Amino acid sequence: MSILKPKGGQSQSSRNALRSYLGAYGFMAPAGVLVIVFFLIPVAIVLYLSVTNLASSNFTSDLAKMEFVGLRNYETLLNDQFARKIFFNTIFYVLFTLSIFNVSAALIVSLLTTHIDRNAGFLFRALWILPRITSPVVYILIWKRMMAEAPFGIINQFNEFLGQPTYNYVATNPWVFVIVVNGFIGISFGMIIFTSAIESIPKDLLNASLVDGSSKLQRIRYVILPLIRWPLLFVVTYQTLSLLTSFVEIQLLTDGGPGLYRTEVWSLTAFHRALSNYFGNAQWGYGSAFAVLLVLIGVVLAVVYMRVFRFDELIAEPRVEVL
Amino acid sequence: MFRRYIFAFVLLLLLSSFAGMAMAQDAVSITIRCIASPPEEDWRCNNFATVEEQVEAELGIEIELNLIQDNASWGDYKNEFVLASEAGEAPDIVLSGHEDIGAWAPAGFIIPLDDMIPMHSEFEDIVPSLWDSHGYAGQIWGIPQDAEARPIFYSKLLLRDLGWSEEEIESLPERVAAGEWTFADMMATAEAAIDEGIVDSGNGWWHRPSNGPDFLYYYYGHGGEVLDMDGNLVVDRDALVATYELLGGAVASGVLRSDVIGLDWNEVWHPTVAQADTVLFAAGGTWNWPNWAINYVADKGGDEFLFENIGLTLIPAMATGNAITLTHPLTYMISSGSEHPDVALELIAAITTPEHNNKHAIDSFHLGILNAQLESEAYANNRLLSSAHYMLDHTTALPNHPGWNAWSGAYFLGIQAVETGDADAAGAADIAIAQMQNELGDGIIVR
Repeated sequence: MSILKPKGGQSQSSRNALRSYLGAYGFMAPAGVLVIVFFLIPVAIVLYLSVTNLASSNFTSDLAKMEFVGLRNYETLLNDQFARKIFFNTIFYVLFTLSIFNVSAALIVSLLTTHIDRNAGFLFRALWILPRITSPVVYILIWKRMMAEAPFGIINQFNEFLGQPTYNYVATNPWVFVIVVNGFIGISFGMIIFTSAIESIPKDLLNASLVDGSSKLQRIRYVILPLIRWPLLFVVTYQTLSLLTSFVEIQLLTDGGPGLYRTEVWSLTAFHRALSNYFGNAQWGYGSAFAVLLVLIGVVLAVVYMRVFRFDELIAEPRVEVL
Repeated sequence: MFRRYIFAFVLLLLLSSFAGMAMAQDAVSITIRCIASPPEEDWRCNNFATVEEQVEAELGIEIELNLIQDNASWGDYKNEFVLASEAGEAPDIVLSGHEDIGAWAPAGFIIPLDDMIPMHSEFEDIVPSLWDSHGYAGQIWGIPQDAEARPIFYSKLLLRDLGWSEEEIESLPERVAAGEWTFADMMATAEAAIDEGIVDSGNGWWHRPSNGPDFLYYYYGHGGEVLDMDGNLVVDRDALVATYELLGGAVASGVLRSDVIGLDWNEVWHPTVAQADTVLFAAGGTWNWPNWAINYVADKGGDEFLFENIGLTLIPAMATGNAITLTHPLTYMISSGSEHPDVALELIAAITTPEHNNKHAIDSFHLGILNAQLESEAYANNRLLSSAHYMLDHTTALPNHPGWNAWSGAYFLGIQAVETGDADAAGAADIAIAQMQNELGDGIIVR
């Protein structure tokens, strides 16, 4: 096989290559600028804050005036007797919420609602989106009012009416509620992605599998799931990182309690330290150290996910032929 | 002709603009930021509007007053001032807890008032003990806005069920103040109420469900100190262990719920305590009373219901033998970014009168800050205030220190540990001290 050189020789070729590069970079530029402005620059600032002792009592926005303390905040963090507990709380929270709700339940809802009447499927999906579009404060207030202890909680009012014992549900099972409350919100994201992926599979392929004698379950296993690997990777990766940094619902529901950091997660600690404190004097520098480690964990996980899911292959030319 | 009209119109517009600008330049703009639970605490900012004309007349200037008042969370409220200060947009006057002096004074966000205070005779009448909580580095940084006591509320209803006579119930505050009826007696009474089925286990005594100033009086009540004579942060291990023994013991004996920390203030804590039929003793604050009367028992008669069924007393004596309470005065501080600190202080002085402070004290059940208030008819005739003002004689306060935040966070960790059973009293003290040492380093002295 011979390679034909374009007319104009080497210089023409270089100009074309340069032009094509510029075109590619030009198209990537808007996204690149967003990443730089809203990720890289904030990370650099937080990284810098984490090596200062910035607090309310010496607060300044002038980076040059901040007192450099080296790795002292990281040393304090690593010596914190509860850092390990908060770290494993975070792993526990992300792992269970992600696996049970954000991926599995989202996939099940997508598969079920794409295998029933189209309008009914749309209705069920719309219901699952409600937790996502409800304001977090209102959403948590609903949960709190439902689960509050007797005589205030709606569930406990039913228990009393039926002569059953009452419970302080959230205090006795805080993790169950933290995971369920966040999971109900998380389902909708995966559900939308998975549903659109399933709907975009050519009908001929789906019908062909049935003609070939597969059951609906076999069709899901051998046709649909392999064809939505990319959306699966995307949801797993995105939702892992999203859960790692999410804390609002936990803050509103348990604020990390009850007891000693029972449901405290890493991002909530960063928030508590840097931005929210009953007695003021927030520790911006120390809180930033927590945030920096969270960014590191997120970046490492993203790279691991891309390796495990063989990202390069997934973004290769699709093998499904759209007719 | 038409051009002439246009010219005249433009000229008029320019002249009126210049006149407006000139007037705006003459007006002194003062922005005041307050935190208040509506409606009972609204006088914190609204009082300024009532003295605006008076101060304008006294100073011969025009004041453009901007009042910003809401019921934000404390954390957000304090951060807002810090960020606004750094951005050069801080209000002239900010109202916050006196302990913020410990962070905002060294940061340079507020100004010392020592030189200006003597110019205003109104401040001479402030209850002397209140100034103690407004100092930092030998200077005064704020003017008290209100005072309060953090008492034990006791259910008269349940004590009657327990067989207490009216005379015993009504004399309880006196007996507590005299040190005759102690914290141990309170625990024993609560246990008896549980044993006799008058209250459920865990409802003998409730303290607040989240971190806050109240918890410090248990430590003070066991002889603990937070600041030494030189102003260094200290922690007394024996007092700490004794405090945790008291709290852990209350849970172990069934007097206190192990999950009281975490109860929702508005969904559970207030509505339960205000009914007076579920919890025998509750540690709260005087300002809870009007909140309960307005929001939780209004249908039962409000104030009258509360007077009939709830009483308030000092925190009974613990190891020190003295009944105690804690006052957490809110404080008007003047921002270092204020262009008119003299006008700001003049406004504060104008509302530091019995007439103005009584409005806030009576509506919100905060104690008065002026000696003259005690003698004023409105204050003296108020049944609630006149029955609680003596508590200021037994009061303590939070320290003003940049490290107080870390100290209190670690102390609260120990409370959570001992109440949930994660640690015994000694273990909880170890947790708290280790946390303090890790975060404060050489800034904490363990005794």
